[in-house]
Parts: sequence; structure tokens; C-alpha cells
Amino acid sequence: MKDISLAIRNILGLLLLSLSIGTVFAATPEIELIIKDHLFFPATLEIPAGQKVRIRIINQDPTPEEFESFELNREKLVVGNGQTVVFIGPLQPGEYPFFGEFYPKTAQGMVIVK
Amino acid sequence: MFLNAVVLVLREILEAALLISVLLVFTHLFQKSWDRSFVLRTSWVAYSIVVGCLGAAAYSHYTPQISEMFDYVGQEIFNASVHLISFILILVLVFFVPSNRLAQRVSRRSQVAALCMIGIVMFAIIREGSEIMQYVGGIASQAENFTPVMLGGFIGAGIGVSTGVLLFYGLINLSVSWSFRVSLILLCLIAGNMGSQAVLLLTQADWLPYTPIAWNTSAVLPENSIVGHLLYALIGYEATPSVLQVSIYLLGIILIIVSPLFGKAWPQQHSLAGEN
Repeated sequence: MKDISLAIRNILGLLLLSLSIGTVFAATPEIELIIKDHLFFPATLEIPAGQKVRIRIINQDPTPEEFESFELNREKLVVGNGQTVVFIGPLQPGEYPFFGEFYPKTAQGMVIVK
Repeated sequence: MFLNAVVLVLREILEAALLISVLLVFTHLFQKSWDRSFVLRTSWVAYSIVVGCLGAAAYSHYTPQISEMFDYVGQEIFNASVHLISFILILVLVFFVPSNRLAQRVSRRSQVAALCMIGIVMFAIIREGSEIMQYVGGIASQAENFTPVMLGGFIGAGIGVSTGVLLFYGLINLSVSWSFRVSLILLCLIAGNMGSQAVLLLTQADWLPYTPIAWNTSAVLPENSIVGHLLYALIGYEATPSVLQVSIYLLGIILIIVSPLFGKAWPQQHSLAGEN
């Protein structure tokens, strides 16, 4: 019994190790997106096709905003004077508009996948 | 600001209103047989709305802390958990729904079903209500936006609740067995959607792997059209769902259909009363 449990523990350890190596090598690139005066900066984000990207959204307004995109299937609340993270992709080349649901008149942006 | 407030509040309220309607149809169908000593004179809805609003206020208040958890994906994890709990509650609900509305001794079944319904509505309101609270809370700090947003919010809420009322009366005016069938089918789709939304949130948080898009119907029926919004609120329509989302949606439907079959083992089981 002891042998079996030791073997299982070794296998699990190896699996965990290989997983962690995998994540280190496939580190997800990060892009910063700033919300100020209900506008996105930069208003267009360029990302490579077929690549998962982490968008760090920093809200410099005191009011909350919601990052939303029908094309990207994303919806995420960013509290006032706070920040958050949204993962997108891997995506096909194309244009993917996004907007701030709370202030959609001004808060408009686009992800361009090349 | 005004129109935006109408759309935003309508979108959130609609989802909860349609869900409450379907559950109220259940209550209506089984009113005669369910235990009257408990919450089942449709007053369970009032309890769950009050508790839900309190929960939404608490969630909204702690959103800054929650969203920083798990390396800034706390919201996704919290919301996905709420979706999964709601799914399990629907599963338990259809398992315990008394299948004979005229049966005499179904009090225990009906109590479990009532508790499930309270939970489902409460969680729906926590999810949808907290977003409205965040939005209104942020806007209320700017004096010039206050009136149009409040007015728009009330109109959006009014349209959402009216749509729910319409669905309720539409369903209860069908024959008994049809109204039972249709509301059960809707409940299946709602449950499938809960699973699919949980998958979407966990993918957004990078807790689940990316899977390709199953289909793209954004040209035929865009999500931001009126029909798209309505279908999203009712059955979770999405123009570009991922393969994993669709799989979990289907798995959810299958589980909900299979669950009452196992429920047949429960004592005092009779078939649904005939048409009248």
C-alpha cells in the first residue's frame, strides 16, 4: 500500500512540475488599458492572432465602469479608482469592438487582432 | 444617459423577472397540493426578493475586495459559483417537484421545492441587483446624471417586470399539462444557461482552457438586437458561444431531464393530473 501511495505522489508531483513549467514558458502577455474621464486609453489595442492576452484595466475615474464586448464575449465590472484583469483570445484576425457599459457614449474601444 | 439607463436596468431586471415568472407558474400549478402552512402562497417570492436585495447590497458593497481576490478574477469566481449553485438548486427543484398536483401528502417535497425556488430567485437577484447598484451608486455621485438615470432605471425595471408578468399570464393560460411542459422546458434551458455562463466566466478568468467558437450567428441574430437581448435573458442566447459552453449547456439540459426520472423513486408518487 505504501509503495502505491508513494508512486501516486511521485506521479502527481511530476504532473504538477510539468504544468508549472508549461505556464512559465507560455507566460501570457499583458496589455494595459486605462479608463479616464469615461474614455479608454489607448482606444485601440493591437494583439497578435492566436495568442491569449491578459488585459489589465485600470480605472482612474472615481465611478465604476463595466468593460463589455459582444464580439469578445466579455463583461467585467471595474470599480472606481480600481483595477481588474480580463483574459481574451486566442482570437482570429479581425476587429472586436468593446465599450464601457456605464458610459457607452464616450467609452468606446477596439481590439485589432493581426 | 437616460436611454442607457433604460437598457442597462432592463437587461438585468429581465433575466430575474423571466426566471421568477417560470417559477411562479410552478407554484401556481401545484398550489392546490403544496403545503399551505409554509411559504407557498406565492409569498415565497416576496421573501426571496427581500433577501436577494440585501444580498445584492452586500455583494455590491464588497465588490472592490472580491474583485481583487484570486489575482483580480474574484468576481468571475464568485459569479460562476453563484451560477453553479443555482444550477444545482434547479436540479434539486425538478427532482422534488410533486408530480401530482392533487396528491395529499406532499408537504415535505413542496418544502424542499420552495426552499430551492427561494434560493434560485435570491441568487438571481444578487447577481443582477448588485450590478444595478454599482451603476446607480456610481452615477448618483454626479448630480447632473441623477434624474435621467433614476427615471430611465424605473422605466427599464417597469418594462422588465411587465415582460415577466406577460410571460406568467401567457403560461398559466395554457392547459395545465402544457403550461407544466413549457415551464419545465424553459427551466431546462435556464439551467443549461447557468452552466454555460459559469463556463464563460471561468474561461474569462483563465481558470478553464480556451475552446474554439462553436458557431457564429451574429450576422443573423446579433446579441445586441431586441430579440437577441430577450433570448439572452430567457435562455442565454449567445451569437458566438464556445464549444465548451455549448457542451455544458447540453449536459445541463440532460441532467435536468434525467433528474425527475430518478425522483420517481420518491414515495407517494402519482402521475400529473390530467388536462382540465
